[in-house]
Amino acid sequence: MSSVPGLQADCEELLGAFQEADTVRFERFAELWRERRFHTIFYGRIRALERNKLTKKTLELAQQYFLPPYAFQIRVGALYLLYGLYSTQLCQPKQKIRIALKDWPEIQKFQQDLIDSQHYDAAYIFRTLRLARAFHFTAMPKLLNYRTKKKIQENEFKEEFKDPSNRVNSLITNDVLEELMNIHDHYQKMKCLISADKSQPDKALSLIKDEFVVTLKDITLEHQEWQQNRMKLFLNAKETDEISNKREEGPLLESEGSERANALARIKYRSYSAVVEASKSRRHRQVKLESSESGSNYGKSPSRSKKPSRRPQPARRGDSLEIKGEMQVAKETVTRHIGMPIITEEEN
Amino acid sequence: SIDMLMPSDKEEDPDVIPEDSSLLTLRIRKKALERREETIIVDRACRQETLAYEMESHAIGKRPDDPGDLVEEGELLLTLNIFYPVIFQKHKDHKPYQTVLVLGSQKLTELRDSISCVSDLQIGGEFSSQPDQAPEHISKDLYKSAFFYFEGIFYNDKRYPECRDLSRTIIEWSESHDRGYGNLQSVKMEDYTFNDLSLKIGFPYLFCHQGNCEHIVIVTDIRIIHHDDCLDRNLYPLLIKKHWLCTRKCFVCKMYTARWVTNKDRLAPEDPCFFCDVCFRMLHYDEEGNKLGEFLAYPYVDPGIFN
Repeated sequence: MSSVPGLQADCEELLGAFQEADTVRFERFAELWRERRFHTIFYGRIRALERNKLTKKTLELAQQYFLPPYAFQIRVGALYLLYGLYSTQLCQPKQKIRIALKDWPEIQKFQQDLIDSQHYDAAYIFRTLRLARAFHFTAMPKLLNYRTKKKIQENEFKEEFKDPSNRVNSLITNDVLEELMNIHDHYQKMKCLISADKSQPDKALSLIKDEFVVTLKDITLEHQEWQQNRMKLFLNAKETDEISNKREEGPLLESEGSERANALARIKYRSYSAVVEASKSRRHRQVKLESSESGSNYGKSPSRSKKPSRRPQPARRGDSLEIKGEMQVAKETVTRHIGMPIITEEEN
Repeated sequence: SIDMLMPSDKEEDPDVIPEDSSLLTLRIRKKALERREETIIVDRACRQETLAYEMESHAIGKRPDDPGDLVEEGELLLTLNIFYPVIFQKHKDHKPYQTVLVLGSQKLTELRDSISCVSDLQIGGEFSSQPDQAPEHISKDLYKSAFFYFEGIFYNDKRYPECRDLSRTIIEWSESHDRGYGNLQSVKMEDYTFNDLSLKIGFPYLFCHQGNCEHIVIVTDIRIIHHDDCLDRNLYPLLIKKHWLCTRKCFVCKMYTARWVTNKDRLAPEDPCFFCDVCFRMLHYDEEGNKLGEFLAYPYVDPGIFN
């Protein structure tokens, strides 16, 4: 379907502003809406046939933001946007919002989340839409029509709206780390038992790094923070591309516009991740939000909130990890891209 | 808890785009509107647009007089695009089609009856010697067979004894050699409703009648019936979109739709030549009805006859 010119930009602008407002309250959204007088988006002397088509396309565009993989806040914003567009449309009878059958379980889960976390205004809005019979329950999300297009338009939605990839976090959860620790201890004990000297394992048996579980956890934490900082930087995209890598100890990847390096960094970071730190670093953000919101943050795995306290940090040994320098970079946050640390082999 | 905070308080004219809008959409639209104002002298809906809009919306919200005809909740509504079989050069890129809404519980035969194809009205035979006898047997009455092809199964219309199984030829052909087609089956159309079928959306299926008039059928949408839809069962299958075909006019008066076509006609400037009924008789027959000159005349049904 050929899209309405300028509509995607407007919607993304509104949703972006809503995301920056960092709240999910409808009042805030309504303020933003009124600022932009978004309801005028249907104005302009359009005849009935064209208006039907236009409204259909508008609702379809807004509906795409309502589904995963978008971040929770964006999805709530999309819900409000759909409500606004549906209510202020000029078509009579009103054009409906198409939801595919496969998406309904997701949406119902979403609604349950809303109710659980006491975002009653969003849940109410959703219920209002349901009661107003605003939805068409369809087999496929997009209405087909047949036009030979010169090129298939790829809709690229802003990356900021998407949830940061949680695959790392879901892989290395608290439980996993705990179990790893247990196994590690057990392993150490076994080694001690079969060695000559009962107090410590034989040198010949030392095949792994002893501290690896703790290291793993630390690296995961770093990844966590790196990701958050990266998101912040992405939002303040006006920063100049300064490279302060020169001051870094250890080889850090050049971050000057090299997408490949960035991708490599991301991939390597994905092999280390942790869950623990999230709640602590997020705590200061939680305070700003409404008291009605629950402690857990959406989009991140729920196990996060279970372990608020950090594991005791080992003494930072300069030879085992070069992360220290990187930590400083993370705090300064001048560069757009944060390089990744190289982990040197621990010499036994 | 929270309600409509959206609309503005003062009266606004939805036709006027506000001057100082921050929305990109409106800025673009305003430019387009201004351009339109400069180039178009009279800006109103043309006939085709009015027709298209009317067709789309004429049945919305209709309720039946007889409550027994009410469409039930949970009924499925399918949208089918049925393509015309005419092949004109100008239709190379966009083949014309009509859009029909059907209910899931309707039989296939109901859809078959609702498809209006010009080939159904064709009258075979040369009638130059007896022009008054022409509109006797239209093809729809003579050749009643038809079939649908969905997902490997042929649904043949067997309601009348003269209906033949057109799909038998195809099935025999595919079974004769190993052509790579799976089991093709043949069943009766009148026994099946749309709910019984398993369909792919966007996949072309076939409707064939008259032995060789083939229409491609594509399902574009399946959804659950909605409160605002037409709930009168008698109105389904409902036609909501039709392609407007220009009719060929009589060569002489250029006013009426052509009803006759002549070949090898000494009195006509071109071959074939189209005439409306009046002009045809005036030119080719004298007062007594004798045929003047040599020619072959066939009744002609224009594809645009359903406009």
